Amino acid sequence: MAEVSLQSISKSFGDNPAVSNLTLTIRDGEFVVLLGPTGAGKTTTLRLIAGLERPDKGRVTIGGQDMASLAPASRDVAFVFQQYSLYPHLTVYENLAFPLRSPARRMAADEIDRRVREVAKMVRIDHKLENRSTRLSGGEMQRVAIGRALVRKPAIYLMDEPLSSLDAKLRGELRLELKRIQSELGSTLLYVTHDQIEAMTMADRIGILDNGRLVQVGTPREIYSNPANLHVAARLGQPHINLIPAGLVPGAQPPPGTKTVGARTEHLEIQAANGNANAQIDWIEHLGDQSHLHMRIAGHKLVTLANPYVPVKPGDNITLTLKDPLYFGADGQRLV
Amino acid sequence: MTDTNTTVLDKAADKAVRATPVPLVYRVRGLSDRSIAWVFILPTIVLLLAINIFPLIWAVYLSFTNFRANRPNAEIEGVGLSNYQRVLNDPDIWQAMQTTAHFVFWTILLQMLIGFALAYLIDRKFRGHAFWTTVILIPMMLSPAVVGNFWRFLYQPQIGLFNYVYSFFTGVEPSSFEMLGSVTLSPWAIIIVDTWMWTPYVMLICLAGLRSIPDYIYEAAEVDRASAWRQFWSITVPMALPFIMLAVLFRAIENFKMFDMVVLLTGGGPGSTTEVASITLKREAFESWRTGRASAFAIILFVAVFGLANIYVKALNRVKQR
Repeated sequence: MAEVSLQSISKSFGDNPAVSNLTLTIRDGEFVVLLGPTGAGKTTTLRLIAGLERPDKGRVTIGGQDMASLAPASRDVAFVFQQYSLYPHLTVYENLAFPLRSPARRMAADEIDRRVREVAKMVRIDHKLENRSTRLSGGEMQRVAIGRALVRKPAIYLMDEPLSSLDAKLRGELRLELKRIQSELGSTLLYVTHDQIEAMTMADRIGILDNGRLVQVGTPREIYSNPANLHVAARLGQPHINLIPAGLVPGAQPPPGTKTVGARTEHLEIQAANGNANAQIDWIEHLGDQSHLHMRIAGHKLVTLANPYVPVKPGDNITLTLKDPLYFGADGQRLV
Repeated sequence: MTDTNTTVLDKAADKAVRATPVPLVYRVRGLSDRSIAWVFILPTIVLLLAINIFPLIWAVYLSFTNFRANRPNAEIEGVGLSNYQRVLNDPDIWQAMQTTAHFVFWTILLQMLIGFALAYLIDRKFRGHAFWTTVILIPMMLSPAVVGNFWRFLYQPQIGLFNYVYSFFTGVEPSSFEMLGSVTLSPWAIIIVDTWMWTPYVMLICLAGLRSIPDYIYEAAEVDRASAWRQFWSITVPMALPFIMLAVLFRAIENFKMFDMVVLLTGGGPGSTTEVASITLKREAFESWRTGRASAFAIILFVAVFGLANIYVKALNRVKQR
């Protein structure tokens, strides 16, 4: 394991900048998640670290060593691809053993066997070791792919949306599993996703990427409660943060220059109206344990989470007030 | 309107409809999907029966008789298995089979090696690879008749380009050897032409195989520290193998019945050194006019190729299922 550092990395494909001037250090043993929409440059960042792409500008160092001249094989990284990149004609066992059988490693056969079985147990695929990799379900294939990274003890694990193609239940399980394995092994891990729940639950720190730029880095809590700008605020929170013009809803003390107020569920107070209603319930979505309240205030639509037993129904008039919301200026930056 | 009224009207309408001649278009529209399917495939089936299946069955029948096509009015007698017996005991036919096997083996070996190597190079997607792909495919697009005639000239000992190029590199006198006239060289002359013409075809199939391997598998292997050599043997070859095997099958079937090129280049000569099975068959059938025996030989060839191809296709499916 080692510290991995990106210094002012830029990479363009033709005229399209994929990553611009990105600086990020992943500390030894840290789980960092890069969160961003499709095309934000997440995958490119991973590929730059792995050496599958060369940066136009900037430096990548692993354990303090400059990687510029090194091929992927010499970089000591493990990569889990978004597609199941298994070797289709090999069995699960052989797939897991593949990286260890590299002549560059010169590992003894019984040591390989021990490691493969240990990792197979860790990713819970040990009952299918002799199966051909093409005869597995999607979840099993991806566990093998993760296992194939874990058999090695590289400087850093790079994972490119490894759970995105799995169903929700399995995704939830593997998310926990991966976090457990990572903290057990104390491995350095850079994980790319567009799923905010994965980011929030697994990361030590989250990096928010937008259009190839790293907008904010911080712990999940920091990113959630102190977003640097509108983009970051909009990436986290379910339902989506409500963005409303300043002054529309009472109860806030916006600093000068505020253009937009960001209000999540915890920033909104709803009371049954007693004569001074300012909003109306449009619709209620029952999720079971919770409900989404769709409200309308002066032509603006708001969504908030509510206790399913809240005694309101569509058409009811309510009083809506803000409680310590987030304030953003005209440029989208946060105002404190 | 009452029920009785409706029935009466319906009946009247029905009568009117039946009385009006229905244009073909509507009649076709009335057919079920299944009937329409039959309408479409029936001509093909009839043609297939008439020009493929019937002659085959007829040939099987003839192979048990003493029929001679140059004496169509002579009485046809059944001779049992004696045609088969004679064919299988004929040393000339075994010689021809050996020649064919030799030819098939070497053409396939060379075409696979060169074709796969070319596909591997073209797959690197260098600048202008599309142009070079087209250039490489040209021999395959020519008519075998043209190719055969061209190569007759190229192999000409006095004026042929082949001899000159060979002598340029080796210093051997160009007119000192004759590709098509020599007992040792003429089989190779044909192997060279067939390889020249059909390697592009093999390349194309191999290229399809190589292109079907996703890039990320190579990237995963690279990150896993697999050398280029190991990537080639543990990813490229196994994943392209079904395609390579398919190319072998196509070429083997094709070359087993090779006829045109041999006739144009050597006509089976010198002596019978390049007389492949199809030429022996043609001589038996249309020079000696032993139609019955030729039919028996043809059936033996057919069964052999068909059987081998079937075994091979089974193996191919097993490889594909992995």
